[in-house]
Amino acid sequence: MSQPKQLLIIDDDPDFVAGVKSILLKAKYEVDVAYNPKDGLQALQTKTYDLLLLDIMMGRGAEGIMIARKLGKDPKLRDLPVLIITGIREQMAFLFPGQAVHPHFVPVDELVEKPVEPKLLLEKIQALLKTAEARKTQSK
Amino acid sequence: MQPKHKVLVIDDEEVVLDSCTQVLASGDCQVTTAMNGTQGLKLVEEMQPDLIFLDLKMPGLSGFEVLEKIRSQQPHLVVIVITGYATVSSAIEAMKRGAFDFLPKPFTPEELRLIARRGLEHCRLVQQTVALRREKELLRENFAAIVSHELKAPLGALQQNLYALTAELEDKLSDSQKDLFERLKTRLDDLLKLIHSWLRVFSVDVRKLKETFGPVSVADVVSKAIDTVQPHASRKAIEIQTAMREPLPRVNGDEGSLTEVLVNIIGNAVKYSFPNSKVCVRAEALGQEVLITVTDTGVGIAKEDLPHLFQDFVRGQAQPAGAAGCGLGLAISRRIVEVHNGAITAESEPGKGSTLVIRLPAVQSSPECSPTSERKD
Repeated sequence: MSQPKQLLIIDDDPDFVAGVKSILLKAKYEVDVAYNPKDGLQALQTKTYDLLLLDIMMGRGAEGIMIARKLGKDPKLRDLPVLIITGIREQMAFLFPGQAVHPHFVPVDELVEKPVEPKLLLEKIQALLKTAEARKTQSK
Repeated sequence: MQPKHKVLVIDDEEVVLDSCTQVLASGDCQVTTAMNGTQGLKLVEEMQPDLIFLDLKMPGLSGFEVLEKIRSQQPHLVVIVITGYATVSSAIEAMKRGAFDFLPKPFTPEELRLIARRGLEHCRLVQQTVALRREKELLRENFAAIVSHELKAPLGALQQNLYALTAELEDKLSDSQKDLFERLKTRLDDLLKLIHSWLRVFSVDVRKLKETFGPVSVADVVSKAIDTVQPHASRKAIEIQTAMREPLPRVNGDEGSLTEVLVNIIGNAVKYSFPNSKVCVRAEALGQEVLITVTDTGVGIAKEDLPHLFQDFVRGQAQPAGAAGCGLGLAISRRIVEVHNGAITAESEPGKGSTLVIRLPAVQSSPECSPTSERKD
């Protein structure tokens, strides 16, 4: 068994995070949490993660989007796969659950809606990790 | 202290300008004057007055022309026309064209003050109305964001923890305990869906969809909708058949919302169908229209329910076991179809099934310059 994958969650809702984190821990991922964008960005700079779970609506607005944009511009971090978790259904009112939605902030990302079922969550994470892995070997 | 009211007087007679300035400036008004229409219009733009006194008879640009320009550029501005003695007919004509009131010459300071006060009061009301209307619009738009965050976030967190708990306790829970968890999750899910539907109905302005209309392939929309509904159909062993009669012209619209309509309609057909039956989706061109017909052989719709079918919060009386919903799907669908200049109708025989027909105007030959895109309600 290879090294457990390191995941980072950036989300300002501790209750929601608890529900996600427990699912991820059960699936043998190692999970760090940042409860605000500032701590999140700092964590990304200090430690290497395999995947980021990012909440969009934080604080006064869509601060999550700012993080995603920053990642996209950062040559070191832009290859980090990101699973965007959003509660704003209006913006995806026409998108349907289960369907892959690519926000394209970074090369490998996808979007799921809060709340997210354990099975779907784990599938998406696995798929993103796999895609990122494939990209890495391809570029080598 | 309140800022002074800005009053603009446009008149070619200096004596009128002077007397107006003298009378009004002693109150809470700041008076600016213009000797002719052209200068007046320039000042209207520069100073944004609250109230304008406008002489109808001036050399050069006439008062009527000035009035017309002001009305077309700033319809909320309050204009009072100054007319010569015994020219009531032109005063009435000016009021027909949007002047708020008229002041016959010669006038006493008292008359001027009175009419100015009335004009300013009207101006205040007009400005208030405009502000309120804007506020209402903003509120409606922000409502979606606020509700989604304040109501949905806690529910989402609740549901997420339930998911986590169920997963963690998977091998420890008895079947009846699992059933309780399922009930919790289902009710929470319904609540989330309900909030979502309400948001769609009350806060999303479907007319805005028009801004991004483009040519849409009906076949694409149908197949996307079926993809979404398919899992529900498979669960009840219902077969969804499609019949696309080529050539199928495209329609001018918003693909996402048209797909939503079909998801609603086909989803309903599946929901109200008996297990092991068929739902048929047909699309064909008929004259200038594209017809999409969805037929099921399910419980049907009672005659007395049919006229209300597309209203908010209406659900049919005949409910098969396990059907859940809040009765907004068809109301939303109707709104979306109507924004597309289309129509949606239903026929049904209780116990035998229902047929819903969506009619959408077809895009004529070249999709680039479609005439339907210009059509306004």
